[in-house]
Order: sequence, then C-alpha cells, then structure tokens
Amino acid sequence: MKRTVFLLTAFFFLSFFSIPTASAQVQVRIRVILASNVGQIIDPSLNDMHKELGSLFNFTSYRLLRDEPMNLVPNRTVTVQGRRPGRLMEVTLVGLHRDNAQLKIRVIREGVDLLNTQVRLSPGRTVLIGGPRYGEGVVIFAVSSRF
Amino acid sequence: MNSEETEMISRCQRGDQEALKEIFDKYHKKVYRIAYGVVRQREEALDVVQEVFIKLFRSIKDFKGRSHFYTYLYRMAMNTAIDHKRKAGKQFMSSLDEEGSFEPSEVAEKGPERILLQKELEEKVKLAMDKLPDEQRAALIYRDVEGLSYQEMAEAMGCSIGTVMSRLHYGRKRLQESLKDYVKLQAQGRGASTAEGLDEAGKEGEDR
Amino acid sequence: MTNSCSAVSKVLEKYFDQEVTGEERFLVEGHLQDCPACRDALKSMEELRTWMRVPVDEAVRKEDFPWVWQKIERGIRLQEQRSWWQSLRSWLDVTPLFRKKVWIPAVATIVVLLFISTQIIFKQTPSYQGASVVEYLESPTCNVMVYQLEEPKVTVIWMFEGPEEEHTTT
Repeated sequence: MKRTVFLLTAFFFLSFFSIPTASAQVQVRIRVILASNVGQIIDPSLNDMHKELGSLFNFTSYRLLRDEPMNLVPNRTVTVQGRRPGRLMEVTLVGLHRDNAQLKIRVIREGVDLLNTQVRLSPGRTVLIGGPRYGEGVVIFAVSSRF
Repeated sequence: MNSEETEMISRCQRGDQEALKEIFDKYHKKVYRIAYGVVRQREEALDVVQEVFIKLFRSIKDFKGRSHFYTYLYRMAMNTAIDHKRKAGKQFMSSLDEEGSFEPSEVAEKGPERILLQKELEEKVKLAMDKLPDEQRAALIYRDVEGLSYQEMAEAMGCSIGTVMSRLHYGRKRLQESLKDYVKLQAQGRGASTAEGLDEAGKEGEDR
Repeated sequence: MTNSCSAVSKVLEKYFDQEVTGEERFLVEGHLQDCPACRDALKSMEELRTWMRVPVDEAVRKEDFPWVWQKIERGIRLQEQRSWWQSLRSWLDVTPLFRKKVWIPAVATIVVLLFISTQIIFKQTPSYQGASVVEYLESPTCNVMVYQLEEPKVTVIWMFEGPEEEHTTT
C-alpha cells in the first residue's frame, strides 16, 4: 500500500516535470559569425541580427562563417567544427519542456574546455557566445531555437 | 557486455559484496594502470584503486547500462586519480634516490649510463605528463597506455570522437615539445640506421 | 614537406592509432615507403607511447596488490555503519505517521494539493520568464562576462582570452 501511494505521488510529479519521450526534438540554429573592425561589411545573411549586433557590440564588420540548422534530440551531442583545427563547439539537448529547451554547450580549443555552460532557450531568445580570437577579429556563436 | 558480467553487476547493485570481489578480480589491474598513469607512484596508485572500488560499490546503482561497464569504471578511475593528485597538491618530482628507483644489482647487468638515462627519461616523462591539462593527459593514458579505441575513449570521457582526436593530437604535440631533446637523440640514432638501411637498399638495387 | 605529406599528416595519427579506413591505410602505407620524414614522425609517436607505457607495464608486472581487497572491504564496512545509522534516524522520523490510521487520507490530501498547486504555479509563471537563461557556467581558462537584454531578447556570454592564450594558439 505504501509503495502504491509513493508511486502515485511520483507519477503526479513526473507528469509535470519530466522530459518528453526520446522522439521529441527541437530545432536549433547555430550561426558562426566573425566580428571585426576590418572594413564595414554586414553580411546580408545577418540582416535579421544587424540591429542586435549593432546595439551590443562596437564592431564595424560582421561576416557569417557558418550557418548550421540542426534538429537536436535529448542527450545526443552535436559538434560544430571551427575554422581552425582543434576548435569546436559541442551542443547537447539536456532538457525540453513546452516552450524552452535546455542546452549544454562546450567551447573547446585543442581539447581543453574554454567554456562549459548550460543555457535555457525560449521562443525569440538568442544566446550569443563570443570572445575567442580568430584572425583580425573574434568569433561569435549565435544560438537560437524554434518551438 | 556479456550476460555473465550483466549478472555480476546486477548482484553488485543489490549490495552483494561477493559480486564486487568478482569485479575487483577482473578489473583491478586495469584500474591500477590508469591510476599509475596519472599519479606515477605506487602507494598513491594503490590508494586510488582502493578508493575507486569503494566508490563503485556506493554508486553502481546509478549505472544504467547505457555505456559499457568498463568505460564507466575507467572514467571513475581517471576522475578519482585526478582528484587524488590535486588533493595531494604535490609535483611528482622524484629524485633518483627515491625507493625502488636505483637497484645496485641492476647496474652491473645493464650498465650505469643506461640505467641513469632511463630513470632520467622516466622522470622527464612524469613531469611532462604533469604539465598537461587533465583532459589531454587522460586521452593519452586511455589511448597510449590502456589501448582504448576512439569510440571507447569518447564514451569514457563523455565527449565526441572529434574532441578525443583533438585532445590526443595536442597532448602528443605538447609532450613531444617537452621531451624534444630526447626525441632528437632518438631521431639522430635512427638517422644513422636509416642511412645504413638506404645504403643497403641501394646496394641491393645495384646487384639486381 | 610535399603536398602528399600534408595530406598524409592529417591521417597519420589515425593510422598510428589503427583507426583508419582501408583507403586511408593504403594512402599512408604507400606514402611512408618514400618519405623518411613521415616515417620519423611515426617513429616519434611510437617512442612517446613506449615511454608512457613501459613504466606502467613494469609497475603492474611487479605489483602484487597486498591487502588491497581487505582495505576495500573495511572501507565499505565503515561506510555502511555510518549510512545505516543515518537511515535509521530518518526512518524513525517517518514511522510514527505510518502507524496511525490517518495516513491514508493524509497522503491522499497531500497528493491532491500537490496536483492543484503545480497547476497554479505553472499558470502564474509561464514560459520560465523569470528564470535565468544561463543556468550554470564555468571556464577554467578565461574570464567570462554574462549580460542579458530583454529588448531585443538576447543573452551574451563573453570570454576574455588572456594575451598568453593568443600566443599558444598560433
């Protein structure tokens, strides 16, 4: 009887807090942007982000290096290779609820973690991860999702 | 994982210490290899082995069988060895006078210069490995000491195969840089034998 | 270094680790016959592996693991004694409830209240708007700054690499 009550209670909790089944997935878009002060070029494919980038940073030039749309499923890691050998970004979907997705993101250089973070993406929210130097500028990863 | 091992793990998860003993008998040397690869000292490595199996008994209930058991155990061994090394907080710089490092009876058989050079090299390798970031050192130990495949390493390290290859590449590069004088010496030795080999090949060609 | 050296160098480590495809093996082995530099590079990797592995092999060969299992058994016993006592205490806290006949309606009431309250909580805080976007963050190598805007809805995580980091990456 005790076990039955415990299971019922656990069932109510889990039905509200559990991650949906393995067949669930979320569409995530990762854009790799080179920001620099060389020239005054805004890549046309970044027009939707022009206002955001301009309000956040003082760079004069933004060039899109890669655009990676992907469908993430829970607990499967996807790797985005950087331009330089040894640089990559790993993204893993660790939680998915009705209108937000929890992503574990690692930025790795030469096998060493530069950054290990877990973020929550909700509709309309973009997470920009930037700073690693590349050539004359810096790399910015723009991560957003579609629900 | 075969059914025998699955059964052994299930029994251990239910608290059967006999099952843990069977797991110990099967894996203690491998765990010791990983521990020794990190800490490079006998007593420390034995302490790590002990700690790993005590921890394993406590946490084996969390093992869900999603990965191979041995990669789960190797990861536990590696993390425990690294934590142990950090807590000890010492550089494992041992001098040639350390216990067990210089057996007078060996000198007569192998020659003093060779023994000294070998010991010096071991110390240099220890220091060079200590300087590596934990992830790169772990990758080298898994691959070059323990012989795991890239897939197994990815499982044990919780990362992608691409990251495994990157860690191996940069770890080896750093190690070669730290040990470049020894690498050069060996290359010079090989250069002489390569030249001899080429001469031999040339002579064979002429004879034909 | 020739062009083919450049192509082979990308897979030479994979070849050394025996992780190459048949095609890659053919490429590497063909190149190695004519390239002393790549043969040297392979030899260096073999030496490095030997230097790392031999002391470990030697240590395992000499080791008889004296008393290790006995120490493990003792360690487990000590832990069980502690945890047994802790679980006993927590059990004592709970059992009086289960002895009384009122626990059935009490637990049922708690379950219903939990059900209702989770509904209310979700209604009041939809879409995790108040919750933090960055749940955790760690960087062993860089200083990191996080800032968040609501209009536009952007969160920025910025890594400041030190000057010494730049030199090591060239």
